Amino acid sequence: MSSPAFEAFLARLYTDEDLRLRYLASPGAVCRESKLSNEERIALETIDRDGLILAARSYARKRRSTCSLDELSLGKRHRRAAGRHEER
Amino acid sequence: MATDAADRVGIGWRPELAAGILLHLSHIDVLEILADSFFAAPRRAIAAMRALGREIPITLHGVGMGLASTIEVELPRVEHMARLADVLQPESWSEHLAFVRAGGTEIGHLAAPPRSVSNAEGAVANIERAARVVGTAPELENVATLIEPPGSTLDEPAWIGSIVCAAGTSLLLDLHNLYANARNFVRDPLVLLAAMPLDHVRCVHLSGGRWIDAPSGAKRLLDYHLHNPPCEVYVLLEHLAAKISRPLTVILERDGCYPPFSVIAAELDAIRAALAKGRNRRVLLGAAA
Repeated sequence: MSSPAFEAFLARLYTDEDLRLRYLASPGAVCRESKLSNEERIALETIDRDGLILAARSYARKRRSTCSLDELSLGKRHRRAAGRHEER
Repeated sequence: MATDAADRVGIGWRPELAAGILLHLSHIDVLEILADSFFAAPRRAIAAMRALGREIPITLHGVGMGLASTIEVELPRVEHMARLADVLQPESWSEHLAFVRAGGTEIGHLAAPPRSVSNAEGAVANIERAARVVGTAPELENVATLIEPPGSTLDEPAWIGSIVCAAGTSLLLDLHNLYANARNFVRDPLVLLAAMPLDHVRCVHLSGGRWIDAPSGAKRLLDYHLHNPPCEVYVLLEHLAAKISRPLTVILERDGCYPPFSVIAAELDAIRAALAKGRNRRVLLGAAA
């Protein structure tokens, strides 16, 4: 089981603290609000809660770090390091 | 210390390790370059890496494509890799079996996707798209996860096996990631290793991690790259070298808390020693059979 909608919901659950807190308080209610299939909702209602909290913390730390994936891809890290004098 | 003539031991290039690497090039067989950090790098930095590539074999390692997804990989990200590969002429390139974004949300790190048939099909389609653009298929790395991926209907070895077999590509087996997943989800690391599609392994990553506390009071192992690989990971390497005949390229990964290079060099020696022990065991097992 996996679909673009399911992956998008997981990405939000991993990164959106408000959604995650609501979900941890009431998984069934948050899942019912989503537009996921029954099978996907059931999978979410039995989520690994310890894992969700730890993974979300880990991803948040990575996003706060100076070399998140998107920064790396966009070259911001290099531009910062290189300063104005570096040729492009 | 000698290993099998075809096995190679290398390290991930990091600017902080540059001086040590350059001073010890004769001790290093291959360098792995973090590709994403060069996608928008100054020409001078890329030229320097190209010059280094004339001295020592290099491979490119990507982190940002998010290939293991039902969502189509973003073409500009693949084109970045293609352009860099065109300039640096690496002997291979690799990416992770992870999803890193979906529905406009950037997770910011390598997340384990639902291990399912539909995700595997999406991954294979993305790998084929990437291979068409870059010119060669990537080696695919298993990722560590703190969360049992929701929506999974396959176990990790079956999911990885279905992807690498269908895509006809190699597995970059990260042994610390494998060890972390085994410990986090109560599996025997050696059993998990044996279940992996080992015929597809050509390259191996080694790194370290740290234990963190879960809210329930349990502990989970975070793949952190700031520590030396634990001895259990060297045991896994030895077992791997005993199980397969194909030459291995083993890369040591370190992303911070850099020790003096003598410590790194000692880890490279330890990798060679584990490979040699595994290869010797393989010879002994063959002689006994």
